[in-house]
Amino acid sequence: MSRAGGSPEMSPSGSLGGRSQRTLARTRRRASRRRFLAGFLAQRSGVAGLAVLGLFAVLALLAPLLFDSSQLDVTRATGAGLEAPSGEFWLGTDENGRPVLALVVWGARVSLVVGLTATLISMVIGTLVGIGSAHFRGWFGGLLERITDWFLVIPFLPLAIVLATVLGQSLVTIIAVIGLTSWPGTARLVRAQTLAVEARPYLERAKVLGGGDWHQMTRHVLPNVMPLVLANTTLTVAIAILSETTLSFLGLGDPFRISWGTMLDNAFSNGAISSGAWWYLLSPGLCVVAVVLAFTLVGRALEVVLDPRRTSS
Amino acid sequence: MSVLAADPVVAADTPRRQRRGQGGLGWYALSRTLSAAATLVFVVVFNFFLFRVLPGDPIALYTRGRNVDRERLAELRRALNRPLTEQFWSYIQNPFSQAIDSTRFSRPVWDVIGDRVWPTLLLLGVSTSLAAGIGIWLGIRSAWERGRRFDRVSTGVTLTLYAMPEFWLGMLLLIVLSTGVGFFPGIFPSGGVSSPGIDVFSIAGVLDLAWHLALPALTLTLAYLAEYSLVMRSSLVDEMSQDYLTTARAKGLTDRLVRRRHAVPNAMLPTISLIFLNIGFVVSGAITVETVFSWPGLGQLSYEAIRGPDVALLQAIFLLFSLAVVVANLLADLLVAAMDPRVRQ
Amino acid sequence: MAIAVGAAAPALAADADPVIMTVGITQDVDSLNPFTGIVAEAYEMYGLIYDSLTGYSQEDFSPVPGLAESWEPSEDGLTWTYAIREGVTFSDGEPLTSADVVYTFRRIIDGTYEQTNWGNYVANITDVEAPDDQTVVMTVAVPTPIMQAMPVPILPEHVWDVIDGSAVADYSNEPDEEGGSVGSGPFRLIEHSANQFLRFEANPDHWSGAPNIDGLTFRIFTNQDSMAQALRRGEIDVADALEANVFNSLQDVEGIETVAAAYSGFDELAMNVGAALDDGTPIGDGHPALADVEVRRAIAHAVDTETLVERALGGYGTPGTTVIPSLYDRLHLAPAAPYEFDLDEANRILDDAGYELGADGVRMMPDGSQPLNFRIFARQESPSGQTSVEFIAGWLTEIGMQIEIEVVSEDSLTEIIGNGEFDMFEWGWVVEPDPDYQLSTFTCASRSYVEDGITYANLSDSFYCNPDYDELYALQATQIDLAERAETVREMQQILYDDVPYVVTYYYDNLEAYRSDRFTGFQPQPAPNGSLLFQYGSYSYRNVEAVSGDDDAVDAGGGGSAVTIAVVAGAVVVALGGFLFLRSRRKPADEVE
Repeated sequence: MSRAGGSPEMSPSGSLGGRSQRTLARTRRRASRRRFLAGFLAQRSGVAGLAVLGLFAVLALLAPLLFDSSQLDVTRATGAGLEAPSGEFWLGTDENGRPVLALVVWGARVSLVVGLTATLISMVIGTLVGIGSAHFRGWFGGLLERITDWFLVIPFLPLAIVLATVLGQSLVTIIAVIGLTSWPGTARLVRAQTLAVEARPYLERAKVLGGGDWHQMTRHVLPNVMPLVLANTTLTVAIAILSETTLSFLGLGDPFRISWGTMLDNAFSNGAISSGAWWYLLSPGLCVVAVVLAFTLVGRALEVVLDPRRTSS
Repeated sequence: MSVLAADPVVAADTPRRQRRGQGGLGWYALSRTLSAAATLVFVVVFNFFLFRVLPGDPIALYTRGRNVDRERLAELRRALNRPLTEQFWSYIQNPFSQAIDSTRFSRPVWDVIGDRVWPTLLLLGVSTSLAAGIGIWLGIRSAWERGRRFDRVSTGVTLTLYAMPEFWLGMLLLIVLSTGVGFFPGIFPSGGVSSPGIDVFSIAGVLDLAWHLALPALTLTLAYLAEYSLVMRSSLVDEMSQDYLTTARAKGLTDRLVRRRHAVPNAMLPTISLIFLNIGFVVSGAITVETVFSWPGLGQLSYEAIRGPDVALLQAIFLLFSLAVVVANLLADLLVAAMDPRVRQ
Repeated sequence: MAIAVGAAAPALAADADPVIMTVGITQDVDSLNPFTGIVAEAYEMYGLIYDSLTGYSQEDFSPVPGLAESWEPSEDGLTWTYAIREGVTFSDGEPLTSADVVYTFRRIIDGTYEQTNWGNYVANITDVEAPDDQTVVMTVAVPTPIMQAMPVPILPEHVWDVIDGSAVADYSNEPDEEGGSVGSGPFRLIEHSANQFLRFEANPDHWSGAPNIDGLTFRIFTNQDSMAQALRRGEIDVADALEANVFNSLQDVEGIETVAAAYSGFDELAMNVGAALDDGTPIGDGHPALADVEVRRAIAHAVDTETLVERALGGYGTPGTTVIPSLYDRLHLAPAAPYEFDLDEANRILDDAGYELGADGVRMMPDGSQPLNFRIFARQESPSGQTSVEFIAGWLTEIGMQIEIEVVSEDSLTEIIGNGEFDMFEWGWVVEPDPDYQLSTFTCASRSYVEDGITYANLSDSFYCNPDYDELYALQATQIDLAERAETVREMQQILYDDVPYVVTYYYDNLEAYRSDRFTGFQPQPAPNGSLLFQYGSYSYRNVEAVSGDDDAVDAGGGGSAVTIAVVAGAVVVALGGFLFLRSRRKPADEVE
């Protein structure tokens, strides 16, 4: 982590034996990045998680090439309902005769997009509110802190149900609902981190030197807070994907899109259990478990690398 | 937030000694309770306004397919279309009033909810107790044997359980243990809370209840214990790096005693606090698992209320769940504060 | 057979054990109060708890005696005299007399809340009297055939008298309340556990004879899967309203008989033929092209009802034609010239009518003002409806229309329809044996109305308005002769078929299954292939009987093995716990700090 204030030996214009302050900072950043990478690669579980995520990302991106979208069309389904896996349908068919394999791969797109977008929203809001509530000591900061606490206390699923019912069923609703209900966790973490960072002496010095609120927050607090936020983000994505699956299972998902959650909802509502259609239940479920587990492992590995107090699991 | 500090006269007169200790707890408790009350008021207001935005004409749906007197219709509509402020005041005065009817059940919402509370309490009570017990033990053992085989296996298992949607786990258990697959016997019931006609207070009735409770409780226990185990483990790992434990070991205490008498009790506090913070997670689990097992509790009621949607019922359930979680959090705060004086300032 | 758990019910001789039939249903009653309940399950229970003056025959829904042994209209059809049976008693022992009949009818006629459910049956009755204990005389304003089809439940005066108009809405009529569910019907409700089950015992003194079974239990399942599993395991004996896939999974199971019964419901693609209020003021934003009957006929040719039955219903249904389902074969009209599925014909009709095909494949209005862009609404509660709409959208695109599908809740759709802000939507109706209600939905007077500046939806959802049709509607409402009325009703169906406010897509089947190794003697209504349960009557419940044989082994086994396992598991847990606890109790000397 570079120290913008510099050490006492450097003059404010910053030259030390031929190298400029900027070059030194860049060299230090590069070295820290290499350390980070080496540390991360040493976490085998994290690497495995990353590999799984890579696989799913590739599948999701290549979905239109692998399976033509006509395979999702109910009116053009060729199989019989709930057919067992066979040479023609590797993972069997759903209740409309559509191939489960195609549904699962296309479903990956929705599940991943929702997870990532909702997390982005949550991360942005959470970081802003977290830094704001720690930085501004007056009533504004207190208000932000109250709002964070309030959202933290309210149980997620009932709130999500209420919001989804009011806003109507669509992809945007699900993303908004998950984003709006998961930012408090990030905010809390960011707030704690910001408080720790702001207690450091060099920040006092920056204030004395005339750095305004905005300068302090962006140039000092943010870079120090971001790494842990990043680690927290991967864990948030995992939770977002689980949330999307749950909301879709309850019937609040977009009726026009296939996601792993809507597949589980369809399986549940169309007699998959009593028909013994295990392929219809296992396929989307295992995908959810794999992706969520992968994100969790990556997140935990990041935490270990970024927080020197934690030792590996 | 110390009320004492705000009053300079009191602060000056009170000897320093008295400001710490039991007095601190009292004020802390008061401030936390007020904060919880404020949260609840906010929830009630939020609840009211959120649902007024809902589109749709519930009255017309109610009367479709039946010949309703136009006057009666007008009456029903008038009740629904009173000015917003009037509706707001009557709601605020008594959110638990008997006058609010569920459109789906044609009974007061709080009556409908009242019927369904005990199955949820039973299921959640059994599951969280089992999960807390097993999960905490698992977490302690994993943390203590960190890096060794037990830890690796148990962390792997708990992480996988944590990644599973609990309702999916429930459906799998249903297929395997209720329908029966391969050599697994289908010996558990497919749903419900008891067989009809059985006297619930007899021995047979209690056993029947336990038989029905088995699978849903197993599902929720597995889902919750993953979280509790991971939390306990990380708290204990953090604790174990503390200096005072080195001292204890230097005194000659066995590992097990160091763990049992020092590390674990101190690690329990953040664990308990984190567990209570995640009570929302417990509630979410109840909703989906009750649906899968047709367990007639509040969770399944929510699922039914979504179809419609039965707005009044959803509102009431949301209020009830929020209330429960706020109260639980308050109790946790007070419990932790009672045990750890550092928290009180 | 009663569900017995292990030792709780030792195997007795077969005739000492009560014979109880357990039925699985997917929804609890919303209310046991006949003035409040709406859902089909509630009406099924009212039919068991209460009697009515007349019933619908099992063969073909024609009127049969109920509490009224016979009835006689006067010459001018304005006075009806009913002869009430003797010796009928309520479940609390009080006798049922004409006073109770008069009380019930007066209550509905004079009440406001009571009108909601039963108002349309008594709309024309001006006076009800009881000259003696076994006779009821009703006076009507116009001769009306509904006097022979009176499913109004007869309530005990001595119980309902104390519940006045303002309290009736809150009266639950639950069996544990004072006087709750007291009726004269073939079964008595003894227990209702909300959302779990309802338990009935047979009424051995019922005027139609004692039922062959001793008791009836309805178990509520919120999920089809668990209901099907319960049927397989013998926890229930009958399952009703199954979905196609679940139904299929029960097909070849030993001991289970599956029935795809013809039903009295239909689904339709409804069109906005010109949304307007009942006074003629146009409302909404429906597409003007749908006001042209040629366009609607072209659409009728573009809907392949057979494919819809195959794909949306899994084959369990009949392609639809007119608005009175084919189940009612006395009233149903099979059109002489049905609309065949023929996309070329549809295209030809549109070409001839001047809807030219644009360069983008979408047709334009004859005056070139706008393309044929239609919004079709599907209901989120109905997956089969959504499937139908997807197919229909595909076909309509092939005849030059641009379709936008929107999925909304039924609640929202009702409001959208009421405001006329749609082009087409998919929904369905369940048609009563008396066609009056269904036919009324197409009259001019059934369109939306405005009150206090707000538009309210009424029954008409296509906004069809035809004075000729209205005339026939008024006529059939006064024809007491069954054959004459049937003729009028068929004429009305033909008018509707020609004018196509609806394209009736299919008459869906009611999928039921029962344990043929336990019960036999179900009575379909109408014979031979109608529904076994959820009929307009209680024929199956009253006539079904246990298959002779030893059934104790079947379910006692299920309960018994579970108990054994529970006990063993419990013992293991206790032993394990004890072992672990004892191990940790050992205290070596060096544990003292």
